Amino acid sequence: MILTPQKNSNINKTLLEFAYAEYGSALEMLAAAKRTNSDKLKLGYIKHALDEYRHTNLILQILYKNLEKEKLDKDKNYIFYAFNCLTKGYVDKKGFLVEKFHLKKFVEFVYTNEFLAKESFINLKTRIKNKSINKTLDNIISEEDDHSKISLKKLDSIIDDEQKHWYFAKKFYQKKFPKAQIAIAFAREKIKNKIRTLYAKNLVILNKIFDPIIYIVIMLFGYLLFVIKTPKSNKNLLKDNGSSVF
Amino acid sequence: MFLGVSAYFHDSSVCLLSKNGQLIDYQKEEWHSRIKGDRSFPRLALEQILKNNNQVEKKISKVIFYERPFRAWLTVAKYTLLKYGFKNDLIFNYFKNFWNSSISFYKDLNNYIDIPDSKILYSDHHLSHTLTSLYFKNQYPVTSVVIDGYGDHLTTSIHEVKSNNEINLIWSAKYPNSIGLFYSAITDYLGFKINEGELQVMALASYGKPIYYEDLKKLIYLDEDKKLIINTKYFNFDKSVKKSYSNNLIKIFKVQPRSQTHKLQKEDINFRKYANIAASTQKVIEHLSKKIFKYAFEKTKNPNFIFSGGVALNAKLVTEISKEKFIKSFFVPPSPGDAGSSIGAAYYGFMKSNKNKLNKNIIFNPYIGKFRDKDIYLKKILKKISNKKNTIKTISDLIAKNEIIATCFKNIEIGPRALGHRSIICNGHDNKTLKYLNTQVKNRSNFRPIAPVMTIEILKKYFNFNEKILNLYKSMSALAYINKKKNYKNISPILHSDFTSRVQIVEKGQLLYNVLKNLKQKNITILANTSFNISSDPIVYGFEDAILSIKKMGIKYLMTENGVYKNESI
Repeated sequence: MILTPQKNSNINKTLLEFAYAEYGSALEMLAAAKRTNSDKLKLGYIKHALDEYRHTNLILQILYKNLEKEKLDKDKNYIFYAFNCLTKGYVDKKGFLVEKFHLKKFVEFVYTNEFLAKESFINLKTRIKNKSINKTLDNIISEEDDHSKISLKKLDSIIDDEQKHWYFAKKFYQKKFPKAQIAIAFAREKIKNKIRTLYAKNLVILNKIFDPIIYIVIMLFGYLLFVIKTPKSNKNLLKDNGSSVF
Repeated sequence: MFLGVSAYFHDSSVCLLSKNGQLIDYQKEEWHSRIKGDRSFPRLALEQILKNNNQVEKKISKVIFYERPFRAWLTVAKYTLLKYGFKNDLIFNYFKNFWNSSISFYKDLNNYIDIPDSKILYSDHHLSHTLTSLYFKNQYPVTSVVIDGYGDHLTTSIHEVKSNNEINLIWSAKYPNSIGLFYSAITDYLGFKINEGELQVMALASYGKPIYYEDLKKLIYLDEDKKLIINTKYFNFDKSVKKSYSNNLIKIFKVQPRSQTHKLQKEDINFRKYANIAASTQKVIEHLSKKIFKYAFEKTKNPNFIFSGGVALNAKLVTEISKEKFIKSFFVPPSPGDAGSSIGAAYYGFMKSNKNKLNKNIIFNPYIGKFRDKDIYLKKILKKISNKKNTIKTISDLIAKNEIIATCFKNIEIGPRALGHRSIICNGHDNKTLKYLNTQVKNRSNFRPIAPVMTIEILKKYFNFNEKILNLYKSMSALAYINKKKNYKNISPILHSDFTSRVQIVEKGQLLYNVLKNLKQKNITILANTSFNISSDPIVYGFEDAILSIKKMGIKYLMTENGVYKNESI
């Protein structure tokens, strides 16, 4: 699981990123269930995946409820596409964690990240709370209040689950590996997380730098494309050169 | 052996053909990655094929990609630059994702298997579609019509298949003039995801009236020279990746596009209006497609047709076209879209390497996704309530009690429609169970129908249908119409609002046939059948997916090759 920036100014964007992170986590756990030979672990991973799928749905419910008042063109930016778990890097295109890591590293990763996830959800909850209080103050419509209560309740249940996942991962880790190593693992994951947060925070700035470069590439090479002529197909398509990418 | 690959656009897949042209294995990436419509390089599907078929890597003589990557990329890039210049988000995305497109096929492939350049072939996108149909319907000569979004440089084509070494392109439509992209734009307008929600648009159409038909038919048409033309003033798909329709389309419909953030339900205020848009769109594509088929017949004089491309997934369209009097035989493969194209690609390799026809003894079989796994651990998670011998009797008894059963049985179906091996089934006569299955278990919108399974005798008893397409009912690819002269009250739960039904007929030896045979004495002659997945997930592949899905969906019973299991946590 890759965690999302905590203090993003756009709560809907944060919720969407959380949904991707949870969905990615579900896919990772299911992949782990498929690759283990231990029945006990298999069931554990499946249960974990089930929780993560449920979290995704709960977060999306909160998000879509928030979006009801948005204009259509705006809410299009917040539609959840499972494939984005790959494009956004929540799941590595080259392989699931369980394929890349040996068991120790995998459990270590789950252990530390579940703990960090729990912390993130507590932060998210605070933000939702603030928002709902402000909204309740600004808006007398009781529906809004009900909605925020529902959201908080949902987030509470997610936090309970994350606590549970973290506890099991911790127990499993401590049983198998030396205690001292976990401190290093925690430090490493925290640094990685900070870097990810920093990267996400500066993504807008990075885009401002790189987008013009892409436009320059398009302008430089765009016209060159017209020089490339694709060969005409034969009438009989089976006579075409099968080795050509054109 | 020949390894066909389709990828990078939507629904990646891999197919393995033997040196004699027999289909050995077929795997879809989404079955393994669990990401619906996964379009990335099918590394997990490939891994599964290598795992299922020992030592196969050394025996691969050709790897065939289903389209010509650079031609596909160039077509769209050139068109967009020429028409809209540099400042549009489509061209920006095209350049930004250059290395994530099919251009990187060879590089990606070599990350997983060691194949020299000399063993790689590239088929033509639409030819791959035609060859997929030909693989299942080994018939020469035949006329092939391909209608899809776009692939390589074309959107629609007519192939005259003269023999196993002569397939002539006799007519085509070029990007962006596309029936598939037109349909996708309307899908987007109606608040469904593109490449995922098209079948929902088809279902929605049955509730509406085609009141926008006259307006829409002016937006996409065949001109006097038989050129397919789309009026891009009404659409944005050729310049934007964010929105497929333009504001001009809103002016026609006079109803705002629907948001994707909530499910469309029959009770929604604008439901009828959206249904009318869907019905009008359906009528436009039927009208246009019939014209294309008629033109194909005029050119080839051959009344035998095969039909493929993503648009061929529209069962209502398939049924309407097949009614045309000039058509003598009509076939649609079980997976006519891009996902099935890896079969056509592999077949292209076979045809290039062999001058002989494919073995004539190929039997139409949609259950080609090889699945080999032991379910020993299932009984540690679920309670086994029946052994292999009593499986059919047990599930028949449960169905008679209006229980819902999920199946994860042997090989998986190739197409998007579950045909019994990865299905959720229940008593098709019981309205209450069907409603529960549709909205609670599957979490679908309440306007979406559930398809029935029956024997041919029951089909004949209650429905009017076209004999020409009898074979298509085996893969749930066509509609049948209720015979209103008969008393059909007993089967009304499986009917659409327009009294049609996407029927599946089963034959002796098939799993669901045996179940129906057992249920006959209990007066149950129809099963309801829907795919084993929650609406936004890919169809279940293995036992882990099955366990996860029954727990997620609250299904009590799971049937496998070795028995029936009960999910006691429900």
